[in-house]
Amino acid sequence: MTDNKTSKEQKYDRQLRLWGDHGQEALENAHVCLINATATGTEILKNLVLPGIGVFTLVDGHKVSGEDVGNNFFLTSSSIGKNRAQAATELLQELNSDVSGNFVEESPDKLLDNSPEFFHRFSLVIGVQLPESTYLRLGSVLWEAGVPFLICRTYGLIGYMRLIVKEHTVVESHPDNALEDLRLDQPFTELKHHVESHDLDNMEKKDHSHTPWIIVVAKYLEKWYSEHNSQLPKNYKEKEAFRQLIREGILTNENGTPEDEENFEEAIKNVNTALNPTKVPSATEDIFNAEQCENITSQSPSFWLIAHGVRDFVRNEGNGKLPVRGTIPDMIADSDKFIKLQNVYRDKAMKDAAVVSKHVEALLQSVGKPPESTSEQEIKLFCKNAAFLRVVRCRSLAEEYSVDTFNKDEITSCMYSTDSEMVLYLMLRSVDRFYQQHSRYPGVYNYQVEEDINKLKLCVNSLLQEYSLNVNVKDDYIHEFCRYGAAEPHMVAAFLGGSAAQEAIKIITHQFVPFNNTFLYNAMSQTSATFQL
Amino acid sequence: MRTSLLSPLDQTAACPRRRNAEPTMAQLVGPLRKELADSLSSCRVLVVGAGGIGCELLKNLVLTGFKNIEVIDLDTIDVSNLNRQFLFQKKHVGKSKAQVAKESVLRFCPSANITAYHDSIMNPDYNVEFFRNFQLVMNALDNRAARNHVNRMCLAADIPLIESGTAGYLGQVTVIKKGQTECYECQPKPTQKTFPGCTIRNTPSEPIHCIVWAKYLFNQLFGEEDADQEVSPDTADPEVAWNPADAAARATASNKDGDIKRVSTKEWARSTGYDPVKLFNKLFKDDIMYLLTMDKLWKKRKAPLPLDWTEIHQLESSQEEAFGTGLKDQQVLGVQGYAQLFHRSVETLRSQLIEKGEGAELVWDKDDPPAMDFVTAAANLRMNVFSMNMKSRFDVKSMAGNIIPAIATTNAVIAGLIVLEALKTLNSDFDQCRTVNLQCCSFHAQHNFDGFPNNNKFLSDFGIRNGSRLQADDFLQDYTLLVNLIHSEELEKDVEFEVVGDAPDKAPVSSVPEEGKNIANGNKDSAQPSTSSKAAAEDDDVLIVDSDEEPSSSTMETSLESSNRKRKHHDADTDDAASKRKRLDQQPADDDEDIIALD
Repeated sequence: MTDNKTSKEQKYDRQLRLWGDHGQEALENAHVCLINATATGTEILKNLVLPGIGVFTLVDGHKVSGEDVGNNFFLTSSSIGKNRAQAATELLQELNSDVSGNFVEESPDKLLDNSPEFFHRFSLVIGVQLPESTYLRLGSVLWEAGVPFLICRTYGLIGYMRLIVKEHTVVESHPDNALEDLRLDQPFTELKHHVESHDLDNMEKKDHSHTPWIIVVAKYLEKWYSEHNSQLPKNYKEKEAFRQLIREGILTNENGTPEDEENFEEAIKNVNTALNPTKVPSATEDIFNAEQCENITSQSPSFWLIAHGVRDFVRNEGNGKLPVRGTIPDMIADSDKFIKLQNVYRDKAMKDAAVVSKHVEALLQSVGKPPESTSEQEIKLFCKNAAFLRVVRCRSLAEEYSVDTFNKDEITSCMYSTDSEMVLYLMLRSVDRFYQQHSRYPGVYNYQVEEDINKLKLCVNSLLQEYSLNVNVKDDYIHEFCRYGAAEPHMVAAFLGGSAAQEAIKIITHQFVPFNNTFLYNAMSQTSATFQL
Repeated sequence: MRTSLLSPLDQTAACPRRRNAEPTMAQLVGPLRKELADSLSSCRVLVVGAGGIGCELLKNLVLTGFKNIEVIDLDTIDVSNLNRQFLFQKKHVGKSKAQVAKESVLRFCPSANITAYHDSIMNPDYNVEFFRNFQLVMNALDNRAARNHVNRMCLAADIPLIESGTAGYLGQVTVIKKGQTECYECQPKPTQKTFPGCTIRNTPSEPIHCIVWAKYLFNQLFGEEDADQEVSPDTADPEVAWNPADAAARATASNKDGDIKRVSTKEWARSTGYDPVKLFNKLFKDDIMYLLTMDKLWKKRKAPLPLDWTEIHQLESSQEEAFGTGLKDQQVLGVQGYAQLFHRSVETLRSQLIEKGEGAELVWDKDDPPAMDFVTAAANLRMNVFSMNMKSRFDVKSMAGNIIPAIATTNAVIAGLIVLEALKTLNSDFDQCRTVNLQCCSFHAQHNFDGFPNNNKFLSDFGIRNGSRLQADDFLQDYTLLVNLIHSEELEKDVEFEVVGDAPDKAPVSSVPEEGKNIANGNKDSAQPSTSSKAAAEDDDVLIVDSDEEPSSSTMETSLESSNRKRKHHDADTDDAASKRKRLDQQPADDDEDIIALD
């Protein structure tokens, strides 16, 4: 067992650095359903099997054809004529012995006819190259069941993804440029005491130049307050004056020239961000005010339970502030001083988290759930990330397709520029309409390309008319989409396979923020766009 | 939207494109112009690197219709590759990446014609002629030295290059075509991190300094000894004015091992039978006490605190509580913990060394557990000595191995983009209709050197050959001249070399040939040329931090540097000069010798 653990750590070393061992664990507990083992489908699965997803189930009613083998790495000539789900599963499994793979030799439509609850068991369903009628049906089943659904499609040189998830919560959103949570503007008691224990004026030189910059700023802030009515330096001018105040504190040698005190330099450099007022970010505020946070029931997911607990903390013990994050950046300081300061923040963070735990416990009791339903670990992680919480809510397919609720504004405003990626969306909707009428996609047979252009044009017009869209779709796009012949070139499939798998990992690990809700990629111009439809 | 990749509608072909019972490239002919799709089967391409991007790229190429592919990679397969390099399996660990990648691809696509080289692309055998065999070169590399090299070779051979890279969730693809786009080296890249030798040996101030030191220590003890990777206190530190009176004090401080300089670290370790406790006390006590005698160093710095094996084991284990949660790797141990880890790893490495037999050497590898344990322990103990916050094994590994997080998804996306750019590049060749954005800094000189005034040596005797780059800094005019050498058999009789390319913007045109002469003749009035390794080009005692990257070998990376600066330096500060001289003497591989040879 330990052996297995070490070998996994080795194998997954490079990705553990991105999502941590708890992210990996989530991945290993996930069961993903993928429909249709086309090139795009197997590329997505490959990128999920390699990092070690727990289980996958491949659903596909098609038999392997020659052209499948031509663009799909996980199908070989010898598999022609076999069921595609079975053939691909065999080869995909070889990629990673930690992953178990199942296949179902059935079309999704059959499954939807006979037992739609089949799809309820999955952490995520990924539908690839599905006809419109199928994904609309499946979309409504999964929406009701609360199972996230990712639609992926390679259409010639166009890539398309649509994410449908009612509510997706993210604790670890991994923001790129997060501000530190130092509370210098509103120091907690323990921090105040710790700062007071330092006396910069009566210190040996060595200690003076090895005092962490946080203490230095806190010390000079006291000085500043006494001269400025206890107001923080707010604008550039005041901050500059504050920096000068710190600068004057640098020790000088016998000749009066300042010594090289890197910790003071750091303090001066960090003035701007260190004095940012402590407050609850608006995204977190929105979460506190959300209905799900307000009305906790025994069915509430732990995200909302803990969110409620943190909200109680903010409104009571926290005096309007989030729990202390408990981490400080690396800085020039000797180990002893640094660790002491770190412990001040860490201890406070633990204390705050313990208070949140109490709130959560009371809440659990009030809805009749056992206190162990949420773990200490989970609460700590939540408190640490309280400033970065995110909730993603996608619109349903039904909303997107209904003439009453579709996002007319977004479409119309994007279409002001005729080459917006939005036109690709309208074209995909049009080829689906074509398929509905002709049971095939335009341009699939060379001899029909010319007549298909006119037919597709009719579809574009009827789509625009049905939705009362007063926009212009250039003929060029209609020609292009006919030429694509619904082909699935491997390089576009590879691109989309990487992108879709990445979004799937975000959904499964609840780390990083997934796109909302439509992604379009144009391989010709190498551009992409995200729309809320 | 409409671009030349897409053919005008072709109404003549009336055959159905679908439902074939043979493997076909039907998915391609629709979206691509027919001539382009057809030309892929005769097109020869080179893939440099068979790692994360390389595996994906090979797959994409064969499935897009490329038939003639050559792939080169120096590396062998490691367990940590398996989370993304899907052409490899556990049973392949230790084998050549290029070879296994080829075999795996052929298993799925038997019709492809793939040649694999288990070699470095920087090997001079892969010369300009080699590169001219291809219509297109695609980089799937992980280090800058090789990227620079391939970039130059492709410019010299005038073959389009697609450059790419990934790091975690980020990635990039660029097309490089001589005369049409910027080249890889047109934009300065952030310089590789280097640390002065005395920072590593005497005055580390950041954890990375201790980690670099620990890696050097590994090589000094168990691996190939390298004069540039000295770990003992550096008495020639320019910060320490050498005062003979201090010498006595130092000698006493280092009484345990006599003269630190004379016995190599390895010999000394061997003489103790790699006794972990003796090693510990020498490295973290005696050497540190010696450093403390160089009191000038500690006037402004916090002085290091020596560790004694016996003493730390008498400590209360109050500080031994492990920080951090989760994986063992992510915990930070206390001093005792690292002392124990040091002890254990030295013993393991010692027995590995014995097992390998007399004269054997170990090679440091971040993915080799005992080697990584050793560096983690030694680096952390040194961090403790220098009052820094210790780091977890996980973090040390990141820094020591220059580890860049890597996942399948990003590589897949990037490899998809590379092939799209490849198609566009090939397509533009057929149409020859691209606009030209001239932006290229490097100009190309053809030299056929046959000697210097005093001897009849050829450039190749100095390791300068086809594809080498010479760099000349002119401090008076404040500009740097880069000369790319390209061998040519086609020069007219008695013409020894010709200079091709444009003059740099800032410099007057006439100065270019003059500069060339200076380089060739080593004129005494002007700058005295010296070839030196890349490391020495910046400062005498700058060390290059070893990384995943292949070291830029001196045969490929040769810079000609004026010694004006050095001379000035010497005049200004004689103490400094003396110490520099000393260092040069200790390092026979340094530039002195080369200067003589060139004169």
